Amino acid sequence: MAAPGGDMQWCFSQVKGAIDDDVAEADIISTVEFNHTGELLATGDKGGRVVIFQQEIENKSLPQFRSEYNVYSTFQSHEPEFDYLKSLEIEEKINKIRWLPQKNAAQFLLSTNDKTIKLWKISERDKRPDGYNLKEDDGRYKDPNSITSLRVPVLIPMDLMVEASPRRVFANAHTYHINSVSVNSDHETYLSADDLRVNLWHLEITDRSFNIVDIKPANMEELTEVITAAEFHPHQCNTFVYSSSKGIIRLCDMRESALCDRHTKLFEEPEDPSNRSFFSEIISSISDVKFSHSGRYMMTRDYLSVKIWDLNMENRPVETYQVHEYLRSKLCSLYENDCIFDKFECCWNGNDSVVMTGSYNNFFRMFDRSQRRDVMLEASRENSKPMQVLKPRKVCAGGKRKKDEISVDSLDFNKKILHTAWHPQDNIIAVATTNNLYIFQDKVN
Amino acid sequence: MLGRGVKRKWSCLEELELLPGAAVPEEKRQNLAAGGGHDPSMSRLQQRQLVLSLCVEKLQHYQAGVELSLRRSVLLINTLRQIQEEMRSDGTGTCTPEVLLHGVDPDSYLLTDDMSVTCSGCAEGDMESLSLSPPASPEPASQDAEQQKPLPTAVSNTLSDAGSAGGYLSDLALDDIFEDIDTSMYESSDLLSAWAAGSLWPVTSSLWWDEDMKLRPAGHSSAGSLQSCLMDLNELDHIMEVLVKS
Repeated sequence: MAAPGGDMQWCFSQVKGAIDDDVAEADIISTVEFNHTGELLATGDKGGRVVIFQQEIENKSLPQFRSEYNVYSTFQSHEPEFDYLKSLEIEEKINKIRWLPQKNAAQFLLSTNDKTIKLWKISERDKRPDGYNLKEDDGRYKDPNSITSLRVPVLIPMDLMVEASPRRVFANAHTYHINSVSVNSDHETYLSADDLRVNLWHLEITDRSFNIVDIKPANMEELTEVITAAEFHPHQCNTFVYSSSKGIIRLCDMRESALCDRHTKLFEEPEDPSNRSFFSEIISSISDVKFSHSGRYMMTRDYLSVKIWDLNMENRPVETYQVHEYLRSKLCSLYENDCIFDKFECCWNGNDSVVMTGSYNNFFRMFDRSQRRDVMLEASRENSKPMQVLKPRKVCAGGKRKKDEISVDSLDFNKKILHTAWHPQDNIIAVATTNNLYIFQDKVN
Repeated sequence: MLGRGVKRKWSCLEELELLPGAAVPEEKRQNLAAGGGHDPSMSRLQQRQLVLSLCVEKLQHYQAGVELSLRRSVLLINTLRQIQEEMRSDGTGTCTPEVLLHGVDPDSYLLTDDMSVTCSGCAEGDMESLSLSPPASPEPASQDAEQQKPLPTAVSNTLSDAGSAGGYLSDLALDDIFEDIDTSMYESSDLLSAWAAGSLWPVTSSLWWDEDMKLRPAGHSSAGSLQSCLMDLNELDHIMEVLVKS
């Protein structure tokens, strides 16, 4: 395992997507996820498509170039739908992709839009049967009476074909918009969460799901809090967490009761009164929650910060990292242009020593927990020469701007990095700008 | 222009702009917004006013055929409630829209009866107490009145933009209201805008889809109920005009 964040030098590796500045709406990347080995990297977009990249086998003669990711499979996962009852469109945008652990030659992933979750099987075909004597050359079946010998077809090699087929469709279980999908460590069940409910599914059963959390009030006018994300514990198949728009995380144990409306643990940090503003609640809304690989910690992302929580301590996080503190004085403008509602995700590296999250102006940040160091980098076409080392970026909040610093007023709030992913074993990261996917890797010395 | 009361002089208008709680003219609002949350020239009250009007504007703005984000709506409404709560505790606590909100029957948007939008405190008999309270203590009251007034007017303004929320209100420009500080003018406009503000409640309840709604009368989709409750306000026009004239 390479050295943690502080010593790492991140280099540009690849960029995927159109070079145009004019972004087609359908190409906006909405989710990024490595599979469990890191060999496959999936992206979902606003047009309902899933693109899977595969890491090529390492080129031994050129060790300084780690293997590249190339397109492996592309398919249309979800189509736009129309809800006739409400006269509303159901977007085909892929909200989340989650890979299942691999059990056989095929790969499986769950992809979801606002309402429907689908299980896709991605399989390879590199052989085809040949030698049937049942058909004419033009494909018509021969008259059976004319066939006098028994010929067993043989499998002959063919060009690799990757096929994606929908194996299960889990529909009609969510009234509100699905924000999360999480596969359980038992590899048999998974949860899906919308604004008010969390459902538990069995991967084999599509016509039923169990509702395990329901925070919908009897009177909708009393609604003040919604569910923003949910995830299963990586090792304890009975444990999951869900976060809320009020900055609260609830941990539930499914062994306690069928309906987990009563949490086992509640994680909330008391508000700092000196930071109180009209926007306090909005910026406390948690946009992502991720367990560490070890299962001992969880990370939450709210508008301005990333917090690491020890599952054994509910009253405050053990670590807090400010992602872009320079925005605190700009909250009013960010509220006006709606950016304050942006939902940033976050991720852990393979050994839980570094965490990463995105920001504006195509900047993203890494926080090295062990070395207490952090760095801000930029994903841009200007820094896209092969193996070009990324230079750290700095934002100047006000007053004198040093050389190479960018002023907070010059930040482009339309260029946001909401989705990032870290290879489960290596120092390879995937960072999604609006419509491009950047792959960076640690410089191998 | 209304033609009611005396039009204020330009110099007085400039002074008015700087009063805390005054409605912020569009141009200045843009400057304030650009300056960000801690613009030294923007006091907390000015920011509160800005956030409040933005809140209502965002709640009103919806694209037909696209489902609203429940999370966004909830966060906006919570912010709105927080500000209303603060304004209520700052003010003298008369019939603010907050009071109206509590008084409104949750199912009010389904009701066609005009008077059902009234809250108990705003029944005919209480109107005198409404109109009397602002002038009761001139100095602090005028301050409070200034603070209370922008809330309903901002709400009513955005409502009038959204639809047919009273022909009278939709003809008003924001500036025109604040050019008159004649108290008799204030009393009736406060009442009128308070009525309009009362309808914020049925608006917010229609902002999110309740799956039980399919059991209710047809035609009440989230967009549809917004339209239907705004159309109910048309019928309130008649009542408003009667009250204004009296």
